[in-house]
Amino acid sequence: MKAFLIGLLLGLAAVLAIAVVVKWRQRNLPMSVAEKADYLSTRRARMLPALAVIFLSQQVTFFSTVNSPGPHSAYGAKVSAWLALSIVLLFALSTKWFWFERQEVRDLLDDENTRANRSEGMRWGFLTSMAAAIAVYALTLFDATVTARDAVHIVMTAGIAVALIRWGMLERRALRDA
Amino acid sequence: MPERLANRLKERRTDLGLTQAELAERVGVTRKTVNTVENGVFVPSTILALKLAKALDRTVEDLFSVIEE
Repeated sequence: MKAFLIGLLLGLAAVLAIAVVVKWRQRNLPMSVAEKADYLSTRRARMLPALAVIFLSQQVTFFSTVNSPGPHSAYGAKVSAWLALSIVLLFALSTKWFWFERQEVRDLLDDENTRANRSEGMRWGFLTSMAAAIAVYALTLFDATVTARDAVHIVMTAGIAVALIRWGMLERRALRDA
Repeated sequence: MPERLANRLKERRTDLGLTQAELAERVGVTRKTVNTVENGVFVPSTILALKLAKALDRTVEDLFSVIEE
């Protein structure tokens, strides 16, 4: 239990550290609301695929050790870190993102095109989750042992990663030739 | 029959000497949204189409038209 908590806290601390660094980097950039929204919109388009890669690479280390978990504390920390990152990414996918920005900037960042792109990303994520669930179900029909935790892990990872990638692709396309 | 929304947004905007960013600020969206509407990548809502028309001092029909392909 202690290991799970440590992992969870480490995950949240990492998110907080990223937010502080981002704020610090913006300290000398006096911008209007529109300029700031444009700047953050471009940055988000770059961040989305990068986040998906970080998220997926975390799964590689998890599944490479799933049959030989090693010390229980390390396994617990990994699961908690994955859970923390998943929750943060899900929250990011379903809200206006940039939670520490002014409300007017956040409103502008969530304009019509962004909402459409995000919805499309979420649609792809949902369909991928369903496809992953069907694949896991089919796998168990052939005597493969998949625990409930692993199944949830696979379904969530597939859905979140694809939603991030698809949203990122659409955002990048929208910014192209601007 | 497939249909496409054509627009004369860029033409009108440049006539008025506005940048995408300036037009975006007038209608309360990001430059990205104006860019996608101009490029035909994104079909705007009625509200946004009306706002764009007002900002560019034209009717919606002047700016947008449906093309059957």
